[in-house]
Amino acid sequence: MKNRFGIFKRAFLVLTLCSISAFAFAQQIKLQGVVSDVSGMPLPGVNVYEKGTTTGTITNIDGEYNISLSSAEATVVYSSIGMVQQEMVVGVRTTLNVVLEDEMLGLDEVIVIGYGSVQKSDLTGAVSSVKMEALPMKPAGSIDGLLQGQSAGVQVTASSDSPGAGATIRIRGGSSYRSGSDPLVVVDGFPIGDAGNLSQISPNDIASMEILKDGSSTAIYGSRGANGVIMITTKKGAQGKMEVTVSQQNTISEFTSELNLWRDPVLMAGLSNESRINGGFVPLYVGANDPNGVYYPSVKELEDGSWPYNTRWDDVVFRNPVSNNTNIALRSQTEKTQFSLSTTYFTDQGIYIEDDYKKLNVNLNVTHKAHEKLTIGTNVYFTKGNRNNNGGLAYWRNPIFPVYEDNDPTKDYYLVGTQDYSHPIALTENRSSTTEFLDFLGAAYAEAQILSSLKFKSQLNYKYGRSLSEYYNPKVYTEDGTFNNGSAGIDNYDTNEIISESILTFDKVYNDTHKVNAMGGFSYRYKKDPSSSLRAYDFLNESLGSGNLSGGDPEKQRVSNGLSEEVMYSWFGRLNYVMAEKYMATLTMRADASSKFGPNNKWAMFPSGALGWKMHHEDFIKNLNVFDELKLRASYGISGNQEPIGAYLINSRYGQDQYYVNGRWQTAIGPGYVSRWDSQTGKKLWSGIPNPELKWETTRQLNLGVDLAFFNRRLRVIADYYNKYTNDLLRERWLSPSAAYDLMYVNSGEIKNQGIELTIEGDVIDTQDWRLSGSLIVSRNKNEVVALGDELAFGLSSDPNTGMLYEFNGSNVEAFRAIPNILAIGEAVNVFYGHKVDGIIQSEQEGLAAGLDGKLAQPGEFKYVDINEDGVIDENDRTIIGDPNPDFLASLNLQLSYKNLDLAMFFNGSFGQDVLNTKAFSEPSNTPLRWTQDNPTNDYPSLRDGRNYYLSDWYVQDGSFVRLQNVSLMYNIKNIGLSWFKRARVTVNATNLFTISNFEGYDPEVGNDGIYWGGYPKLRKYTLGVELTF
Amino acid sequence: MKTLYKILFSLAIAAGVYSCESLTVEPEGFYSDKNFYKTVEDAEASLLYAYDALTLVSYAPVTFYFAELATDNCNVKSDEGADATAFTNWEVTSQNELLSQYYRCAYIAINRANAVIENVEGRGFNEVDEKRLLGEAYFLRAWNHFNIVKAFGIAPLQKSLVDEIEETNASLPEGFQEMYAFMIEDLEKANDYLLVNRVAGRADKIAAQALLAKIYLFAASAKESGVPKYDALTESAENLYAKAAEYAELVLTAQSEYGHDANLQNIYDVNANEGKEHIFILSMDRSGTQEGDYSKLSKYFIPWIGGGTVYLKNTDESYSPTHDGWSVFQTTDELVSKYEATDKRVTELLVTEIFDEDNNSTGTVADGTIIYPFTRKYIDTEFEGDKTSTRPYLIRYSDIQLVYAEAMANAESLPYYNEIRRRAGVSELTDLSGLSQDDFRNLIIEERQREFAFEGDRLWDLRRKNMVQTYVTQAAGLSPEQLAFYPIPQREKDLNPNIN
Repeated sequence: MKNRFGIFKRAFLVLTLCSISAFAFAQQIKLQGVVSDVSGMPLPGVNVYEKGTTTGTITNIDGEYNISLSSAEATVVYSSIGMVQQEMVVGVRTTLNVVLEDEMLGLDEVIVIGYGSVQKSDLTGAVSSVKMEALPMKPAGSIDGLLQGQSAGVQVTASSDSPGAGATIRIRGGSSYRSGSDPLVVVDGFPIGDAGNLSQISPNDIASMEILKDGSSTAIYGSRGANGVIMITTKKGAQGKMEVTVSQQNTISEFTSELNLWRDPVLMAGLSNESRINGGFVPLYVGANDPNGVYYPSVKELEDGSWPYNTRWDDVVFRNPVSNNTNIALRSQTEKTQFSLSTTYFTDQGIYIEDDYKKLNVNLNVTHKAHEKLTIGTNVYFTKGNRNNNGGLAYWRNPIFPVYEDNDPTKDYYLVGTQDYSHPIALTENRSSTTEFLDFLGAAYAEAQILSSLKFKSQLNYKYGRSLSEYYNPKVYTEDGTFNNGSAGIDNYDTNEIISESILTFDKVYNDTHKVNAMGGFSYRYKKDPSSSLRAYDFLNESLGSGNLSGGDPEKQRVSNGLSEEVMYSWFGRLNYVMAEKYMATLTMRADASSKFGPNNKWAMFPSGALGWKMHHEDFIKNLNVFDELKLRASYGISGNQEPIGAYLINSRYGQDQYYVNGRWQTAIGPGYVSRWDSQTGKKLWSGIPNPELKWETTRQLNLGVDLAFFNRRLRVIADYYNKYTNDLLRERWLSPSAAYDLMYVNSGEIKNQGIELTIEGDVIDTQDWRLSGSLIVSRNKNEVVALGDELAFGLSSDPNTGMLYEFNGSNVEAFRAIPNILAIGEAVNVFYGHKVDGIIQSEQEGLAAGLDGKLAQPGEFKYVDINEDGVIDENDRTIIGDPNPDFLASLNLQLSYKNLDLAMFFNGSFGQDVLNTKAFSEPSNTPLRWTQDNPTNDYPSLRDGRNYYLSDWYVQDGSFVRLQNVSLMYNIKNIGLSWFKRARVTVNATNLFTISNFEGYDPEVGNDGIYWGGYPKLRKYTLGVELTF
Repeated sequence: MKTLYKILFSLAIAAGVYSCESLTVEPEGFYSDKNFYKTVEDAEASLLYAYDALTLVSYAPVTFYFAELATDNCNVKSDEGADATAFTNWEVTSQNELLSQYYRCAYIAINRANAVIENVEGRGFNEVDEKRLLGEAYFLRAWNHFNIVKAFGIAPLQKSLVDEIEETNASLPEGFQEMYAFMIEDLEKANDYLLVNRVAGRADKIAAQALLAKIYLFAASAKESGVPKYDALTESAENLYAKAAEYAELVLTAQSEYGHDANLQNIYDVNANEGKEHIFILSMDRSGTQEGDYSKLSKYFIPWIGGGTVYLKNTDESYSPTHDGWSVFQTTDELVSKYEATDKRVTELLVTEIFDEDNNSTGTVADGTIIYPFTRKYIDTEFEGDKTSTRPYLIRYSDIQLVYAEAMANAESLPYYNEIRRRAGVSELTDLSGLSQDDFRNLIIEERQREFAFEGDRLWDLRRKNMVQTYVTQAAGLSPEQLAFYPIPQREKDLNPNIN
């Protein structure tokens, strides 16, 4: 409390001094009054100042203010965050009561865009804004989850419940074949990098997020803008007085469904025997040792209970994780100085035992008016955390084996054979794997008002990140440890980035009709990422693990490191023009030069233009008395993506190896290096020849939009159509083998994304006590692979039946020995390619007639379709069997308030995407439904060990779902008459309450490749949160 | 106001300083043409990189797919994959993945040798170093070009370093005359520049002479037996034979570092790679970290015997352990039938019985435990898991003895032939009576099969003698071109506009 009064004193002193000086030099007019909100509630902490001067004050707790003005012609400005700013000419009045409207309802909130801001009404591009205070309090350790369902055209896929795991964010579809489709994130003007795993910024500190989607708004970020931009604005000091906010959230999680594991060993053993016998193998459960010397009880032993074990491994491996999120924020603003200090401590437990995550965020933000025309400020974000990795434990272990010998915890772990590397307790207790990370983001800026219409701002940003991972794999229980007689490693990764940006902004209104805003600037970016990796093997004594790598055999120690540097220069500018509040035009331009671009393509140019027409200001529309807003927008812009381009692809590069001469290993160096291993043959692929033409990927985007508002803005509609065309996609081409290099990066390949976005917001009920509002967001994106480069140079495959050119993309699925996803010209990205199945073969004749032979023609087998009708089922019978891209996404937010009680519900849905369920015939829920002589089903094949499963449409399932993503009930307490108490909020929140879907696995929300790998159910989370503000 | 100007001024300076910095980032995390080849040590490392190319997993082992599987020596494991089976069945197409891997690796090795040549010549190193480095690089360039000639016939000659995109589409040479002249020129330089200096894993003057002898012999016999396109060679077969004999004779008589090792066991002792026989041997060691650094050659030749350690009986009645293998290269009955029963190359070098650590027999070829008799040429008793020091034998002294015998094909060269047979414990030829020169040469080819079985040589003998169809039934019905050369890999034909 002491502190608070200190600030007060200083603020008082400053104000007094201001008034004295004002009094000394000018004739005074006194003005007083009360500022209140629409409901008549007095507003404390509102800035009241005379326009064009430094004279100003703030309203007290009862909303009252007193101000001395220079003349009767003076304009007084009333402003407060979250409220629409008001300007009043004083005239002869001495008392002036003002009502400020809530900005959320208003048209003229300020929207942050690249290198500036704009009134929402003057927007010409497609930009969504998410104000955090409008969102119900949601438990989240990172910002990715908060974005879900908040903006049309933004797809947030959270496929992992692992603690600290990020999400995949796509704005208007992916437009790169390689990694590098993540949007750019800009925090308070600092472009910090790719979205997807933003652990640096605590969600508690965010005030608003703006999402730049169209070509006109993203082009200002040039070669980093093509995937869209997420602008984050953090919370700043509260008006007038010290404000302390303490918030506490605790979350407990549980599985959304039962685990699909074997509970009945008799059934499991019976099916296993059946499957092995059908495959011509010796059955396992016969009461004898298998070839590895492991005793498997007979089915009878299991049945009559003489085999005593039936372990529920999920109970051993999983827990109900608890997470904790504590935030303390101090925020204050005086006339000259505002500061905000926020500290968040976040701990998260994974669903696996001892799989933990901890993180501390500190955010300090200070701005100071050093001079009437100069503001300086700094923003510092510090994050430190650690992760104890204990995920992936074997919850799927065979239940007939106990955890310990004789099920006695004082005895040894029960290991299955000599090569058992999946005992979860043995691993938990003996293996170590930790990661520590530290992130620092710092920004300092100075902003000078050079002329009344001209402003200069220079901001220096610095980012430092460090991660240190250590592991020890013991001599027993782990494969790596057994093979190497103990194996330990330490990996260091550092990242350093400096971005220095200076901008000049000119802002003036001519003759009250021509609003001109012009901005120009320069940016410099330097990035340096050193990394190192230490390995030791063959440990004499295991007790120190990775703490003492020199404990390994000195001759087997391995050291490697790497270093990557990047430099980028940019010039950029924007011109905004609004005429008569009706016609708007925006032109932008950015030029980027990067050390990653080839010498023949050093500079990239990214122009854009947009037009807007506020028709509701035209008389012929006004006269209709229908529209409160009717705005048309059109934009076209070019932006780029340089993320997929690695550093040094334009340099020649030598490789390094070792050759054994004279009894020792000697370093060997020369042209050509191994750039990667071929995903299919596993062979080394050689690169190292530079491409002097290498450049960014280019996206051209057309956007047409309309903003509508009706019924006193109680119904608002935003609709957009976009067409994005991306070319010069970064791809690897093959070189003639006699050149001694396999691959080289080139720009080739094209992809198209087009779609529509619709947002409907309504305030259905709006009375003193009751409020009901809702928003429905629907978007549809259709992408298409247009070109993949020359068939031969890029090694494309050709479908023998249709001539369709394609290549495999993504990861191999072991069960099918196939990569399910392809990029095929004319098709959507990542469609599934495989066989078709027409039920199950019921008789051998049927199988032979279908073109199958041998074992594959027997009853109980899949009846694959002979697509090319050549009488043989082979790889030439494959076709496109599914599309993992959704037809459309929809989300519905509902908010109901009664007095101080708020109820919010958020439904999220994704429709029309196919999911490849790789577990459709390998789990306890489906294998008992197998085909047998007695159960000649047409739905499932027979069980047969050793069967080669072709990837087929039998595994493709509809992944459409609707999820009640979040429900929160919030009680607000304010104005209870205590002077030191401002407000309190108590929230009860549930995430992932239910999901409606036909999908057979745990959850259809999988990665963008549409492959479902099984695993465990999604988590449902219950959170209790309390937030107190003093 | 002054403070304001100061701040603005410093910001302007700061921006100015930044913009002066260059847009070029010199790589500091790896070597490149910008920071390498500064010293003789750099050049030395670069030369080792050229040698290291010979150990590439898709180069060294693939030699055996060509030279053993495609002949009467070995059959392939049935599920080794279509690309491997194609060699046994003589159905190798331009799409064959192993074929392209081999082709590309040969050119990688050539490019690395070219890097040494271009960056050493005239760099002002001292003459001794310069000659040694250049000599070995010229040797390696010829070695790899010869591999290309043997496998593919007429294919690009890479005469200079490829390090720019404009240089990536090589042209075809006019014919074998140009190719042989280039290889011979390289080797003559190597012979001039190098001294006799044995280092296991590297080549010296004698290796250069030995390779010259082998190349001349290949050319001579190929021209003589009417192998397609060899008529383009300007020298007569006789002259080529003479040249082969000339260089072979240098190896056999003009040095004392290398020689005939009368003890068969010594030759194949993995720990004796500096034995007299080894004029050029690849260097691999079980202490390496990745395949290529260490060798898995043993795994290819040994059959799968239950996945554990087995013991082999040595000539001195002791027992040595080895891992079992993958059964990739399976000895044919045909090959076994080519030996006399007492031939030590069978009795000592083909394994038909295995033992456990207590020296009890655990199975034989006869009882089916061992699915084929396997060679002891690649056994590392100190194996670590799959890691061994088993090395491909690149040029053996015995090889040059037989090259000489074949080139001369007269009484003068008969003792060398007999020396090989004597070591194997089989009968010798007292004289050449009743044998034409051709007959004797054919006897030598038969002896070469027995002596160099499993050493990656058989197919080249069959090809240069135009005898593939005589010994390999699977090759029936193929054209002379198909027998003599594998097709240029499809990717080369697709991407290189100079080759179709």
